[in-house]
Amino acid sequence: MKITKKQNASSLEIALEGRLDTTTAPELERAMKESLDGVSELTMDFEKLEYISSAGLRVLLSAQKKMSRQGGMKLVHVGEIIMEVFEVTGFTDILTIE
Amino acid sequence: MTIVLKGRIDSGNAAQVENDILQQLSGTETAPVVLDAAALDYISSAGLRVILRLRKTCQDLRITNVSPEVYEILDMTGFTEMMRVEKAYRVVTIEGCEEIGRGANGKLYRIDRDNVVKVYKNADALEDIRHEREMAKMALILGIPTAISYDVVKVGDSYGSVFELLNARSFAKILAREPEKIDWCVREFVNMLKKIHGTRVPAGKLPDMRETALDWARFVRDWLPEEPGNKLLSLIEAVPPDDHMIHGDYHTKNLELQNDEVLLIDMDTLAAGHPIFELGSMYNSFRGFSELHHEVFEKFQGYPYEVGASFWHKALAAYLGTNCETKIREVEDKARIVGYTRLIRRSIRRFGWEDEARRAEIEHWRRELLELLERTDSLLFSPNELELDAAAENLQELQTFVDERLEAANCPGKARMQIQLAVEEIFINIAHYAYAPEKGKATVRVEISEDPVTVTITFLDHGVPYDPLTREDPDLSLGAEEREVGGLGIFLTRRVMDDVAYEYKNGQNILTLKKKLG
Repeated sequence: MKITKKQNASSLEIALEGRLDTTTAPELERAMKESLDGVSELTMDFEKLEYISSAGLRVLLSAQKKMSRQGGMKLVHVGEIIMEVFEVTGFTDILTIE
Repeated sequence: MTIVLKGRIDSGNAAQVENDILQQLSGTETAPVVLDAAALDYISSAGLRVILRLRKTCQDLRITNVSPEVYEILDMTGFTEMMRVEKAYRVVTIEGCEEIGRGANGKLYRIDRDNVVKVYKNADALEDIRHEREMAKMALILGIPTAISYDVVKVGDSYGSVFELLNARSFAKILAREPEKIDWCVREFVNMLKKIHGTRVPAGKLPDMRETALDWARFVRDWLPEEPGNKLLSLIEAVPPDDHMIHGDYHTKNLELQNDEVLLIDMDTLAAGHPIFELGSMYNSFRGFSELHHEVFEKFQGYPYEVGASFWHKALAAYLGTNCETKIREVEDKARIVGYTRLIRRSIRRFGWEDEARRAEIEHWRRELLELLERTDSLLFSPNELELDAAAENLQELQTFVDERLEAANCPGKARMQIQLAVEEIFINIAHYAYAPEKGKATVRVEISEDPVTVTITFLDHGVPYDPLTREDPDLSLGAEEREVGGLGIFLTRRVMDDVAYEYKNGQNILTLKKKLG
């Protein structure tokens, strides 16, 4: 998985490319830990994300919990297959998906 | 006692000839008698009656070097069925001819543009030639493209069989001259191998490879410590009898490209049995035999050992239909057990234990064999089953393996993704909990059935009994703050699959996932 970060003052955009699974979720977790301090607006760009498993959902849930205390988080360009996983797990109700 | 027959024997001289023969035989009636017909041009019924009478006094009588014309007479009159009649063989020289192949029993030379001769090592090779001809005929009838010899010839002190092989090149030669064609060669090589292994042979027509391998194992057992020795024997005993064809000496010198057609040659080792025995011999041809002395391989095949090793790996991957290294290694290890067993026996029988250079090699094979025996419990393999360490870092391997099978079944993209999701959730669950804090193995089987097309994936492990389906579903109505981080895996699996079932049987957790396609 490729993680691309774009920081603009207190807003951060993280674009993911590839698969967010058990193997790659720790990478995203680490990237978040390193860069979420002082961020009030987090945008996750899922345009090039092909796959997500529960390991990925866990990282998103942790990020959501953290960001709801310091501002907000939204997901953009979520594809059909990933959207289905969000729907099945009720994540569509928890996350802000544009 | 050899008696020379000359010229014509007919009613004019038959009585004279008979007298001559009886004179020569006086006092030696019991010895075997050979009538050398090299110089015999014609024999009439009067002459044949002489031979009949002769046969009454000496039981062991044969006629050799019979010309085609005289052979026809003997054949028509039934003499060829009554006694041993040997044709005169055309003499062929291989001086200056190119060696184009080599098999277990002989070497192949091109004698002119359209023909090759296989010269047998054994001086009394007529039986071998007959056997190989029978094998080739049977293979051809069963649909394996091969060449059948049309003539038996004399080559120096040995015999040879002649084949028509126009404009043909062995795969070894192609690889030596055009190494960039390796992938094409692998594909054709594996297609032929699958064709051989997909061919059933009539019962009793071919040697049973399992019996042969049991002989090797009984021999090698005496050179191993008791426990691994017995294990070797029981591993081979556990391979079920199989009526599918095995070539027995399948390597790149025994596959010929003739114009656009691929032909299998060197059929004398044809047998029936489980493909693991073939893979064992193949491992030896490409690697085992020259593992310590790589130059041996290059001398034999005409291209470098490294290319051969790569060819073997690619061929095994294609044969199993996987790029999953765990799977390839699993089957390779089983093949190595068969291969080393054969090599050890062959080397000890041929060179004994005293030759130091040979002993170093035998000891190397023996070490490898012992190490393999320690961690192998079966020689059987299934292309649809993968056994691997239940550890998160093997997820990628497993996904590759499962996905290859889904792709082969034309599984649509969305279902493929959902199955991947379920496979990940279940496998990671096993990896984290089944054996913790110890480690253990998991087996994953992928089956595709028809009507409607259904993918069934079965996970087996020997870990603590645990039914993940008893786990309570997460409460989806809770907000982000209240939601637990975790517990979603099994839930997701149940939602994306059509059926998920658990049972504990024979000390194993068995979890079965089903998904209908389309």
